[in-house]
Amino acid sequence: MQNRILPYLLTLPSLFLAAVVIFWPVWDLIQISTHDVNRFGQLRDFNGFANYYAFLADPDFLAALWRTALWTVLVVCGALLLSVPVALILNTDFYGRGIARVIIMLPWAVSLTMTAVVWRWALNGESGMLNSALMAVGVIDQNIQWLSRAGTAFPMQVLIGILVTVPFTTTIFLGGLSSIPDDLYEAAALEGATPLQQFSEITFPLLKPFINIAIVLNTIYVFNSFPIIWVMTQGGPANSTDILVTHLYKLAFRIGKLGEASAVSLLMFAILLIFTMIYVRLAMREQRA
Amino acid sequence: MKLAKWTVGLMAGMSMLALAAQANAGEVRVTVAEYSAKTGPYFNDVKKEFEAANPGITVKFEVVPWDVLLQKLTTDITAGTNADLSIIGTRWLIDFVQQDVAEPLDSYITPEFKDRFIETFLKPSIMEGKTYGLPIAASARAMYYNKELFEKAGIAKPPATWTELQEDARKIKALGSGTFGFGMQGKEIETDVYYYYAMWSYGTEILNKDGTSGLSTPGALEAAKLYKSMIDEGLTEPGVTSNNREDVQNLFKQGKIGMMITAPFLSNQIKEEAPNLKYGVAAIPAGPTGARGTYGVTDSIIMFKNSKNKDEAWKLLDFLFIKEQRAKFTQGEGFLPVNKEEAKMDYYVNNADLAAFTSLLPDARFAPVIPGWEEIAQITSDAMQKIYLGNSEPEAALKEAAEKANAVLKK
Repeated sequence: MQNRILPYLLTLPSLFLAAVVIFWPVWDLIQISTHDVNRFGQLRDFNGFANYYAFLADPDFLAALWRTALWTVLVVCGALLLSVPVALILNTDFYGRGIARVIIMLPWAVSLTMTAVVWRWALNGESGMLNSALMAVGVIDQNIQWLSRAGTAFPMQVLIGILVTVPFTTTIFLGGLSSIPDDLYEAAALEGATPLQQFSEITFPLLKPFINIAIVLNTIYVFNSFPIIWVMTQGGPANSTDILVTHLYKLAFRIGKLGEASAVSLLMFAILLIFTMIYVRLAMREQRA
Repeated sequence: MKLAKWTVGLMAGMSMLALAAQANAGEVRVTVAEYSAKTGPYFNDVKKEFEAANPGITVKFEVVPWDVLLQKLTTDITAGTNADLSIIGTRWLIDFVQQDVAEPLDSYITPEFKDRFIETFLKPSIMEGKTYGLPIAASARAMYYNKELFEKAGIAKPPATWTELQEDARKIKALGSGTFGFGMQGKEIETDVYYYYAMWSYGTEILNKDGTSGLSTPGALEAAKLYKSMIDEGLTEPGVTSNNREDVQNLFKQGKIGMMITAPFLSNQIKEEAPNLKYGVAAIPAGPTGARGTYGVTDSIIMFKNSKNKDEAWKLLDFLFIKEQRAKFTQGEGFLPVNKEEAKMDYYVNNADLAAFTSLLPDARFAPVIPGWEEIAQITSDAMQKIYLGNSEPEAALKEAAEKANAVLKK
């Protein structure tokens, strides 16, 4: 009997901690989102789902929702595709590997906001570094106004998103690669397996759990990532680069609609929760099979 | 033994808390906006001087960047941890008054105190007959022009009308070599205001007399078409929607832009960063009927209703608004004087740049005092960006924006 209760007792402190940092704010958000609320967060009358209807009817919200999906998929997949070869290279033994590893990891050490600020300068139309560089190489003969329209701004933001996601993803993969025993490769080489076969038959399957982890964690980070888009365009021009977080920030702190903003953030929470649950289920089923 | 130690620790902690509470009794906390690198040092000096003159009162300034000020205040007020005093944009004041978080200052204000202020700047902080804030910073907008470019292009004097401005911009554009006639802002805060300059010249106000949005009037359309035609003709810098106010100011400082409209603080920046730039300050161009308008802005310092040290806080306010303190702050930041005696000082009287600004004050419009103003400003900025980018025809964009704004106004 005692043995049965003990595990629950032992997890109680962390459950309590989780309740304080997760459940309580969520409960607060539910409260705010179902009430008429003034711009300082003081609750007025209960208004049911009026806040939810309000944002669902907002075309800017729907556009931001769609763009968030695009943003997340592009950045997560891009970072994944780039990180696997980078990790494979960094895992091989070569002269100057230490330096190469540091260089790849460096963007991770710089704050995301600072990275975004630097890129904002670099992408400046008249005095930006990128335009001068492209001009010097002869790729363009006229300055490109990168941040003036979504057509050029958003792809650049995605590229920067990928750039800052690569270090973390590579770290996970490096950890995964070092856990694969060398004798597997030696055996495969003896049997005459080509490097490509070694990758598809040994490396990739054994790396899969790490890829799954990278997908889940990156999706959560990227979906909620605020600084890159906010610093560079504030979701503009005319809300054309807004993702849900920037849309939410404007709703709450520019316009002062805290009720609607809380409703949006609850929806974001739900989306991420459902995604993570489905994905973890799928990944685990695959592993069992 | 163990328990005893524990109790001692707890008691020590509690006595420290009690001490802290005592210290709080004479403490005045103030949230201030960081206007420039000089803001922090200025308020540090204020703290020293004020505390020396008023033993028993300690002052704590929290310097917050402009961009996050409203967010900080929102979260602080929600949590009930707001300071005693705070600087706010006067355009937010109505929200603070309606939600009953601002304390009316009339019981503290003596006729002598009130007489220190220039009427125009105090008025926006008065609501329903009560004074809720004091103008800590005041500013207006005028047109800066690059004298060297004007000379090269053979232009004798700054343009008086928008038609003249277009012609001058053409001449400056013809100079080539990366020079642009008119610097236009199309990104971030005050994108809407940059459009109002033209709109006011065409006789349209932000709000019509009946309280509806002015965006659907013919004057608003004319102004939008004017800006759009200038962009299409290449009279502005390229990529208007990627340039916020600072970006356009930087182009002006680099001597790449012939004309731009902005605030007095650009003079201070030019003095420090581009001392060799030859520039002048002139009135904002007028429209076909001679109408013109500039944007007047004040920031107010307010007292919170839940402050526990109101008398001490008032002492600090009184100190902040004496002539010497005002002069130091205003001149450092490059604002306009709000204090009558201060305005008579040589610094202001003999300053040609500032004279251009103050002469525009009779035409100054302040942001309308309506709840939901920030949302209407956002709607207008979005509409302008759509027009500038060519994503939407001016008629359609303005009509849509006016409908949205009217919906906000009706609430």
